[in-house]
Amino acid sequence: MPKKKKPSAVPLIETRSLTKSYFSEELETPVLHGIDLTINEEEFVSIMGPSGSGKSTLMHILGFLDQPTTGKYLFRGEPTRTMTDDELAAIRATRVSFVFQAFNLLPRTTVLDNVMLPLLYHPTIPASEREERSMNAIAAVDLTDRATYFTNQLSGGQQQRVAMARALVTDPDVIFADEPTGNLDSKSGNQVMEVLQGLHDQGGRTIILVTHEESTAAHAKRIIHLLDGNVSSDSKQFKQISAKKNNNLKK
Amino acid sequence: MLLTDTFQAAQRSLLRNKGRSLLTMLGVIIGVGSVVLMTSVGASMEKLILGQISSIGAKSMVIFPGTSEGAEGAIMAGFDSLTFEDITALEKLSTITSVAPGIMMGVNAATYGREETEPRVIGTVPNYFKNREVTIEHGRLLEESDVRAARNVAVIGSEIADDLFGRQHPIGKRIKLGARSYEVIGTLESIGTQFFQNADEFVFIPMTTARAQNAQKYVNIISLQTVGDFDLAQSDVESLLRRRHGIVNPDEDPDKDDFMVRTSAQANDILGSVSLGLTLFIATVAGISLIVGGIGIMNIMLVAVTERTREIGLRKAVGAKRRDILLQFLVEAVLITVTAGIIGIICGISLAVLIAAIADKLLPTYDFAVSYPSIGVALAMAFSVGLGFGIYPARKAARLSPMNALRYE
Repeated sequence: MPKKKKPSAVPLIETRSLTKSYFSEELETPVLHGIDLTINEEEFVSIMGPSGSGKSTLMHILGFLDQPTTGKYLFRGEPTRTMTDDELAAIRATRVSFVFQAFNLLPRTTVLDNVMLPLLYHPTIPASEREERSMNAIAAVDLTDRATYFTNQLSGGQQQRVAMARALVTDPDVIFADEPTGNLDSKSGNQVMEVLQGLHDQGGRTIILVTHEESTAAHAKRIIHLLDGNVSSDSKQFKQISAKKNNNLKK
Repeated sequence: MLLTDTFQAAQRSLLRNKGRSLLTMLGVIIGVGSVVLMTSVGASMEKLILGQISSIGAKSMVIFPGTSEGAEGAIMAGFDSLTFEDITALEKLSTITSVAPGIMMGVNAATYGREETEPRVIGTVPNYFKNREVTIEHGRLLEESDVRAARNVAVIGSEIADDLFGRQHPIGKRIKLGARSYEVIGTLESIGTQFFQNADEFVFIPMTTARAQNAQKYVNIISLQTVGDFDLAQSDVESLLRRRHGIVNPDEDPDKDDFMVRTSAQANDILGSVSLGLTLFIATVAGISLIVGGIGIMNIMLVAVTERTREIGLRKAVGAKRRDILLQFLVEAVLITVTAGIIGIICGISLAVLIAAIADKLLPTYDFAVSYPSIGVALAMAFSVGLGFGIYPARKAARLSPMNALRYE
């Protein structure tokens, strides 16, 4: 599924002095202190940092799973602070999607039904197109012959590819991958990274990868380091690791 | 999310946990099943009793001595308020066409050869059979000539015939009632219970024959046939008897009378209040069991919300709105209770059919009947139990923050 939209001049994601604090019993725990970020369409960005650095929190905010405490978050130039619950749900349904470390697939449910799940909540894609779109997404992760399998009959790497097909099926503006290889051995991890890289390189998709592993982060073209809730470095990556090459070497 | 999708999602998640879904349903199945069963048996009983009451006939009434306290409508010996002079006076009323008195004999045993049974012996006149719409099976009924000649003849109820004669033909045989011997001239068709008494264990002998033995001056029962307006006839009878007995009763308080007038309308009223009581009782039991079932459902739904927190988080992450989640869990709860309701109705009706099959052997006039309103009410209650007890868990699920739900371990 190649993307046809042309990159626009407006950045896809823009944050200004974004902060986030958690409150428990009047006690404020700041997690993010003034994040300024710009991510353009068709970028492949890694957000890196040790645990507790706030990288997951940042991803949740950028992915509309959570709201910032202060600061600005512009998505395609539009402010998102004032959005209602339903508006946020609509954005999650159409604009963003996620690949999680724990796969988060529905158990005892087929691959096809898992991939179809986001389409149930999609406001515009008609029900008649669901199956075709899902099968296309499954083909994109090379699992067509497994479409009718229950997800618990698949290996970890295959399960994560199902999750990626599910992320693709709504044709989102950006895919967030939260430690996608964290639960996988190096071989399946590599395969997952290969699919992810392919989505970016051939599919032209915007991907934001969250990881604490240097080797995983190095698959991206740009790496943003977070430390204690601040951006500590933001650099272009010239020696990008190719998962495909790695896979070929292992073979 | 489309409603059909919501239904499908709910259905799938219930099927994923078949065992648990079934256990959850059990409370509602039992609740609804027992409501349907009890109301069905109640309806059968009502039909049974109504059938007997209607056999009294809309135009006839029965008068018993005594006040309305004590056994309702029972024929009791020992009350001497109704006399043969009352009978003569009643016969003169223009609204009454036929008067038939009856006196109870203190006979405890009827014997034929070695066979013995316990009859209720009543001395009466031929009109009695006409007024009570009793029909002959074999032989003949009592006739005026039997009464005039005070013959020692008897017409026996079907149960007495069975007990004494079995398969033998009773007509012309002689049975003993107490010390005296009577010729059986007729047997009656089975009537079943009439006015809360088993009408098949009666033996009818001529009034004159009965009085020759005990010289009783009062009667134990008067059967009347009316003509014209029934209410007018009833008030004629009541005021006549009050006047003759010197009772001042302008308020028509039945407690002040020394007689009781029983009509099929009255019997209907009594039955109505009995069945209302029964209905209230069933409703209470059903209400309690449905509340218990509902709490079970709420409990299971809460467990399901906790257990499926990550699924809820995922659904929200891929774009489910609060409403979608709320609806999914509500539909699940309602689907459980309505399915359970339908199973309960089927179980209840099946059991009622079974009971009818068994009861048919014991009570030949017992018929299977279903209370259709109760099925509707039971189903509506199952639906509202699902809705009522599902709303709290569903709201809880809908309000989960997607991020926290996803992270839930």
